[in-house]
Amino acid sequence: MFDLLKEMRYNNYGESKMELREKLIILADSAKYDASCSSSGSQRQGDFGNAHMAGICHSFSADGRCISLLKILLTNACIFDCKYCLNRKSNNIKRAMFTPEEICTITINFYKRNYIEGLFLSSGIIKSPDYTMELLIKTMELLRYKYHFGGYIHVKAIPGASEYNLQRLGKLVDRMSANIELPTESGLKLLAPDKNSDKVEKIMNYVKNKKSQNFVPAGQSTQMIIGASKESDLDIMQKSENMYHNYNLKRVFYSAYIPVNQDKNLPSLLTPPLKRENRLYQTDWLLRYYGFKVSDILDENNPNLNILVDPKASWALKHLEEFPKEINKCTYKELLQVPGIGVTSAKRIMKSRKFFNLDFADLKKMGVVLKRAKYFITCNGRFSLNKDFLNSHFIETNLVLEDKSSIKEKNRQLELFHE
Amino acid sequence: MNKVYVYDGTFLGLLTLIKYLLSNKIKPYNIVTFDYQENLFLEVINLHLKVSDKISGLFYNTFDKVTMKRIYYVFLSKEKNKEIIIYYYLLNYLKYGDSLSGMCNLKCVSKVLEINKKVGNEAHKLKGFVRFKELKQNILYAEINPDNDVLEIISKHFKKRLKNEYWVIKDVSRNIVSIYDKKDFYLALGEDVKIIQDLSDREEEFSKMWQDFYKIVAIKERKNEKCRRNFMPKKYWPYLLEVRDEL
Repeated sequence: MFDLLKEMRYNNYGESKMELREKLIILADSAKYDASCSSSGSQRQGDFGNAHMAGICHSFSADGRCISLLKILLTNACIFDCKYCLNRKSNNIKRAMFTPEEICTITINFYKRNYIEGLFLSSGIIKSPDYTMELLIKTMELLRYKYHFGGYIHVKAIPGASEYNLQRLGKLVDRMSANIELPTESGLKLLAPDKNSDKVEKIMNYVKNKKSQNFVPAGQSTQMIIGASKESDLDIMQKSENMYHNYNLKRVFYSAYIPVNQDKNLPSLLTPPLKRENRLYQTDWLLRYYGFKVSDILDENNPNLNILVDPKASWALKHLEEFPKEINKCTYKELLQVPGIGVTSAKRIMKSRKFFNLDFADLKKMGVVLKRAKYFITCNGRFSLNKDFLNSHFIETNLVLEDKSSIKEKNRQLELFHE
Repeated sequence: MNKVYVYDGTFLGLLTLIKYLLSNKIKPYNIVTFDYQENLFLEVINLHLKVSDKISGLFYNTFDKVTMKRIYYVFLSKEKNKEIIIYYYLLNYLKYGDSLSGMCNLKCVSKVLEINKKVGNEAHKLKGFVRFKELKQNILYAEINPDNDVLEIISKHFKKRLKNEYWVIKDVSRNIVSIYDKKDFYLALGEDVKIIQDLSDREEEFSKMWQDFYKIVAIKERKNEKCRRNFMPKKYWPYLLEVRDEL
């Protein structure tokens, strides 16, 4: 493999005879397992392009994920050998490397045609972390100063890079982040022996302290791989909660492990744990927008989420004594605890009930999912169901039956199995 | 007999008529454009009111900015009875003021909010779904076919984003063209604008690369057709080069 790298003279800004189109295919393929795609939180305005506060999705790929940024690696050559990673050095795959100027050409031309909202640039580590950082910085300088590019840029900082280079890179981009990958140090030791969480958290800490209008204005995010190691949902969510608290992260992304490599330390999965990933995202939402704590949902005796019922409904079923909530009287916080009521509908309820008493028909108009909420609420003291049926077994059975998506998910996973 | 009032199809024309109706305390059965369907049981009245620019200033004095934006979005929508919905919304605003938007038990309010969501969503989606081709002389050209008349909204977006480029966006079914000359954009009728569609030298190369990129980023183990179509409905596909072939 190193012969191949030499052939490409990768240390000379990757100049080679490989066609731009071929490089794009290799380096987009290597970058696609990163779940992050958001382009929100920045208001940059340049001579060429701007960032949109709410972010914009430009397309959706066949897996249903949003395409907002040109997600590529600078190079898929890497001196590390992380077990779960397609680009680990022991893998015999075709390697490629962009020059900074080539990245600019594709970014500018894609942006102009409105294919993308900006650039997501990550990289394998070549030579050393700081050498790789220099190449990333060079690329960003060209984009911002030569092409006056004002679009959104998310860059992955290289663990082990110097503070000097973090400072230089952070000034040029909208988001700079590092992936923690696994929630525990023991998981990292087993699967990513060259990485350690100190190096990653050092970057997070640096970004948190320096963040301003001119330095990483859109903040930072991180990613954890789900199902590659033995950690429980409790381990994962506690790690998330700590990181949200310690580093003001905007988002933690959860990425169901897709078996790209064979290794004795890796599980052999038939399908990626997509439902588990979904439940973790729901729990993450509860932490960030619904006032829940991890300890409300998971503990040592129940370290894993219920796959059949979403985490808010699971919580409500365990706390039936706190229900029903009277829609016209309960607090905003209580509204948020009701399954089937989201942040938007809770706000609408608060606003509307000042003017009139809400009934079940009004709730429907406001976007409340009644088939989920009906077990947990009253309108003007009235239930929509016979009270005798309201025990946790009855409700849980109905919620599971009504959750079409979980049934479809099962069918979908079966389809995958047949492929 | 039910009275139906006619206006000229423009926003200012509608405001002029509504102002007349409100100040004369007339409750119309419906408000329609010139091309209404004749109906024996309806009395059609065309007041031929003089439309002036001043009318919009007058409305901004009476109604707040949010209300004006809301009714403008309703006006841009494909909703059949949008004019009468706007009339009732404004009538109720005069009665209840700012608290009106919380009173979703009134049909005109829930309707206005619902339509705003639809128009706003489509405009936002199109900010991402517009696909420009680069023509000779560095002109970017795109065609769209939205349900609602969002060309002006998205033109404002591209005026900021691609401020140093020449671009043209055409709404195919309404046959309206938005032309940007690096200063401002202008809306014109499709037949008045002739576009020579010669592609620039590298257009094919980059459009191919985008189609490659689109295919390669999908993770096959996560294939989810329902999710893709939910976010990117098929009606937009004819104008999206990366999925056009799949139709």
